[in-house]
Formats: sequence, structure tokens, C-alpha cells
Amino acid sequence: MYAAWTVKHKPKTLAEVVGNIDSIEKLVEWIKSWSKGIPKKRAVFIHGPPGVGKTAAVEVIAHDLGMELVEKNASDYRTAEAVERFAGLASQYGTLFGGRRLILLDELDGITGTADKGGVATITEIVKKAQCPIVLIANDIYDPRFATLRTHCLLIELKKPTVPQVVKRLKEVCKREGIETDEETLKFVAERSGRDVRSAINDLQALAQGKKKLAYSDVSWLAERDRKEVIFSVLRTIFYSKDTLEAKRAIDSADVDPDMLFQWIYENAPHQLNDPHDLAEAMDSLSLADVYRGRLQRSQDWSLLRYFLDFMTAGVAMARERSKPSGWVPYKFPERIRLLSMSRGEREMKAQIGMKMRKKCHVSSVTAVKEILPYVRIIFENNKARAEGLAKWLDLDEDMIEYLAGKKKARTVAEES
Amino acid sequence: MSYEMWAEKYRPQSLGEMVNQKEIVERLKSFVQAHNIPHCIFAGPPGTGKTTAALCLAHDFYGEGWREHLMELNASDERGINVVRETVKTFARIKSIGEIPFKIMILDEADNMTGDAQQALRRTMERFTETCRFILIANYSGKIIEPIQSRCAPFRFTYLKREDQDAYLRRIIQKEYVKVSDEGLNAIFEVCGGDLRRAVNTLQAAASLGKPIDSETVYSVIGRANPIDVRNMITLAMKGDFITAREKLREMILKYGVAGSDIIKQIHIEIFRSGLPEKWKVKLADAIGEIDFRLVQGSDDEVQLSALLARLVEAGSEIQEGG
Repeated sequence: MYAAWTVKHKPKTLAEVVGNIDSIEKLVEWIKSWSKGIPKKRAVFIHGPPGVGKTAAVEVIAHDLGMELVEKNASDYRTAEAVERFAGLASQYGTLFGGRRLILLDELDGITGTADKGGVATITEIVKKAQCPIVLIANDIYDPRFATLRTHCLLIELKKPTVPQVVKRLKEVCKREGIETDEETLKFVAERSGRDVRSAINDLQALAQGKKKLAYSDVSWLAERDRKEVIFSVLRTIFYSKDTLEAKRAIDSADVDPDMLFQWIYENAPHQLNDPHDLAEAMDSLSLADVYRGRLQRSQDWSLLRYFLDFMTAGVAMARERSKPSGWVPYKFPERIRLLSMSRGEREMKAQIGMKMRKKCHVSSVTAVKEILPYVRIIFENNKARAEGLAKWLDLDEDMIEYLAGKKKARTVAEES
Repeated sequence: MSYEMWAEKYRPQSLGEMVNQKEIVERLKSFVQAHNIPHCIFAGPPGTGKTTAALCLAHDFYGEGWREHLMELNASDERGINVVRETVKTFARIKSIGEIPFKIMILDEADNMTGDAQQALRRTMERFTETCRFILIANYSGKIIEPIQSRCAPFRFTYLKREDQDAYLRRIIQKEYVKVSDEGLNAIFEVCGGDLRRAVNTLQAAASLGKPIDSETVYSVIGRANPIDVRNMITLAMKGDFITAREKLREMILKYGVAGSDIIKQIHIEIFRSGLPEKWKVKLADAIGEIDFRLVQGSDDEVQLSALLARLVEAGSEIQEGG
């Protein structure tokens, strides 16, 4: 078994923690200040997005300062009693061997209202009378549950590192694993992780483990997969959500072009909704979305965009009433987009012929394509002599003649099935 | 070998050759006699002689060399405001040489002009009335802005009557040595409904097959030229097969370039022709009308018509349940 690189290459020194130098400095200062007596705030509340090194920083500092780290995280019970039993006692006494102790309560976001009843309130009480430094960690410190707790803590935010900082760390890992690679490749991995160091190292392991060399072509395909997965998860929400806000947010959470997403929803709705009434309602919503899109395009009033989005997301979500979950139906790529590009060649050819016809026939090129070209084509297919005469009269070139005679389909036209 | 589109070859050159729109033709002849033409709007369905009437009027009005005094623009191809500001204005302001002091500008498919362009045109028409008279041609005069309409003499063209169309076709049949049975002529009128351009094109395409033309030939030509198999699409939807029905729709729009408005017109006709319960025809007419309206407002014909197909699927399942 290979060890997870995120564990194997966990920072051992502060220098290896990526970025956030000032915040870490502040944390170290606060812990050190305990040696001069109990500070005003007896706990530090570290917050920031996943994978920025919150836990890693605390672990390294405890190690560097020779402190005993007592840690609890989301996997432990955190009811009032459990917290009291663990942290309450630990925070009151020094270590048996006279060393100093650091208490870490990690992943506080994971405290749930029911299963961990009273947990946050108890933590607040413990913080107020703590006899040793307590470090709390959460992603979202502005969650209302932490409102009181927050006021008793020194707040330290760890921010996402920059891409070059992540790349630097990935380089170190590659060096230790003996993998040859280049800046561009690592930059792609770093960016794709959303500057989440843990996730970037995980990706790196998945891509590079067992290889001597990691090239850009080994990683670039991920982009395509990501886009698809993002769309799939958005579609899942839109076709199954019972909540209008959730359906609307699905599109915000994913960075997808609204028009493209519309095509995906429009293509897949009939495959996802098997009840005729539900389908009719969903298609009606898409029709209304398109009405707003039309108004938007004509008026260029972009404030109308939100109604387009409402109908294509929430409108479609609310259409599901009687449809049974259809098991796992794979999402289909919008067929229309493929067809549009395939028939482009044919449409261009027709338009050119229309241009030839318009002056001679006293119509617009559009009308010529619609009203005259179909008949001309029948003549070309059936009567060579008359076709030649018409070709001369209309001044058609070889390509046009062959196209009309059906000998040559316009380059990219799909064969009729 | 000289060969051209019969619709052009046999297009009337002078007002006297026109076989239909008698009242209109009489009034136009009176303009010729009076040596004066007001600004005009020719409105009406396709293939009813609007462009022909305008060209004939110019021909009869100026006589020999009439093309010197005429400019023909198609607004569908040149619809922007710049065309009005440049091409139209340049033509309109320059005085005509000869006894008649004004020229004629034919603006075909004028209902496709943008609003801006129409506004600009309104000024031009006013300022250069002395040197230029305008004939605007449109399917619907309603799409021409009110101020322009009020400056023009309106003429409403209607579909040709059966005997007018037949008379016209018979002349071509005779000159081109084509054999057409009476059923063949019936069929042409049935499918073209008084649209003379379509009728002549159908005749010419059918003649190219090189055998006597009967109703079957006509239907096969029309079927090839107008692949709007709306009936089949409706049947699929009513049976509950939305996905195949949508594929048919997609094919019409993408492959054959059929306009959404033409398809919905056909759906409307087919629903009332169908064997559906009478009260459902009325219910569906409402759904069709709503989508027809949204076609104008929206941006994507296929999406709008698919919404209608989904309504047909829904109706089909409710009818089956005895609703």
C-alpha cells in the first residue's frame, strides 16, 4: 500500500506550511504569550477555506514549541457532556510531566444541532475559564452558531495561498518522490485544485504516482472532465430539487455559461421527466425562459437575465410532480450543438446560391433559399440539360452545381440515415 | 441552350399582362395616365404579384429605358439604417433627367427593415418627394411604422383565384410544350393555394422529370421541396413519443431551414383537420396560439415548438385516459 501523499508530505516545519506567514506569526506569538500568564482571549479561532493548512499549522507549531497536542475533531462526539469530559478537564490542568498542553478542537463546522446538542455552548464556557491555550478551527466562522463563541476568541484567518506558492509546494513533493515535471503542468494542477493544497497534492498523487515524468498532456484532459462533471451535478440539482432557491443556486455554484446550460437542460428534460404533465410543464418553463432571453437580446436589458435563469432552473425543478425517478439515466450532450456545426457547411452553400439568385429573381437571398432553391434542386437532380441552362443563367460555380445535383454534399453535412 | 426560371421568363412586363388583382391594376394604370405616382405600399401574401406590379408600373410609366429611372432594393438583404442613409438617400436626392422629374425606388420585403431604418426612411421620403417616389413591398403592412403608412397609398394584394392561376399556367404550358392533366392542375392549386411563384416553380420542377404531369408528380415535387411533415410529427407526439417528434422538428428547422412560423401554421391547420375530439381541438388551439405569440417574443424556434409538442404529448395521454 502506498501512503497518502497528503499524510506522507504533511509539513514538518513551519517553513513547509504554504503561505499565510503573518497569520501564523500571530498564532505563534499568542501561544508563546501564555508563558507570561493567561492572555485576555483564552482561545484562538482559526478559520479559512479547506486545504489552506489550518490543522497542519497548529500541529507543526505544537511540535516546534514542544507542547502536547490534545485533539478532537468531527469524528468524535461533541455533545455538551463529551466536550466537558474531554476539553473541560484537560484545559484545567497541566501535563503530568510539567510540559505544556495545547488543546485543538478541529472541524467545528461539523457540530450538528441535534446530535451534538449543547456542544457550542459548552465550548464557550470552557474557553472562558481555560487554563491552557485552546485552538478552534472552522471553515465558516460567521455561522450564527458561533456568534457568542467568536467574541471570546482571537480570530485568525488563513487565506488561500497563491498559485505560485502552491506550485512551489508541489515541486517539493515531486522532488521527494523523484518525479520529473515542469512549471506549466504543476500550475495547471494548482489552478484546478482551486488553490487547495491538500486537494492539489491528492491530484498530484493520482496523476503521477508510479511515474518518472509528469507532462502537461497527462493532466490537461482533466479540464474536460471537470466541465462535464460540473454540468452533470447542476443538472442533477435542477431535475430533482424541491427547492427553488437550491435550483437557482445550482447555476451560481458552477461556472457554466447560461446558454450552454440551457441547451443541456433542454436536451435532457424529456429523458428525466417521464410523466407527460411534468414534461409539458418543464418545457413550458423553458419556453418562458426563451421568451425572456429573446426580450433580453432585443432590448439588451441585462436585468432580464435573472428571469431567464429563474425559468430554466427553478421553473424546471418545480415541474417534477408525478414523474418517477427514472433510475440512472445518463445525461446526453446537446445534440443540437453538434448538428448546428455539422449543417453549417450546407447552410453556407445555400446562402451563396441564394445570393446568386436574388437579383435575377427579384427576391432576397433568404426568400430565394426558401422558395426557389428547393425547386431548382429538383431540376438539377433530374434534368441535366435544363440544369446546365439554369447554371449558366444563374452564373453558378462548379461546387454549387455539384451540390445542387446531389453529387457532392456540402463538406460537413452528415449523411441522411 | 437558354434556360431560365419560368417565373422570371414569364413574369409580366407590363400592367396589361397581369392576370389578377384587377382593381389594383386599374388604379396603377390611372397613375400612368396621370403621369404621377404617389408613395405606395403593396402588401399581401407571397406570390401574388406585388413585385411584378411595381416593375410593370415602372415599365409602363417610363416606357423605353425604364430601368434607368428605377432602383430595386431588398430590405431583407440590406436592412440596416446605413443602407437608408447612404444608398437610398443618394439615389433619392439626385434629380431624374427627362420629362418626368422623379425616379422610383422599390423597397422589397420592407417589413424586414429595422425600426431605426424605417425612421430614417420616413425623413428621406418626405425630403425627396420631388425627386423620388417609393414603393414599399411587404407581406404585412402592420410591420411598417405608422408614419410611413400614412404617407403612402395602400394596396392590398390577395391570393390568386383559381381561374387566374390556371390561365397563367396554361400559357406557360403551351409555350414550353408541357403535358399536364387536369388533376395535375388541381393538385398545383391545392398545394400552392394561389401563390403564383410557387405554382410556377412547382410546374417547372415537375416538368423537369420529363414525363406528363399528373397529381402524383405534383405531390412528389411538393414533398421534396417542402419537407414539412407536420402531420407525422403531430402523430408521434400524440402517441407519447416526444423524443422522436422533437427530432423531426429539429430536422425541419436545421436541415431544411423551415421557419418556426410556417411550422406552427401547419400544426394549427392539421389539428383542426385531425380526428381528435372536438373540445380538444379548441383547447389545443389555445396552446398553439400561446406558442405562436412566444415565437415572436422568444429567440429559439425549436424550444418554443418543443414546448408545444410536449403539450400535445400531454393531451394525447389525457385523451387516452378518457379526459
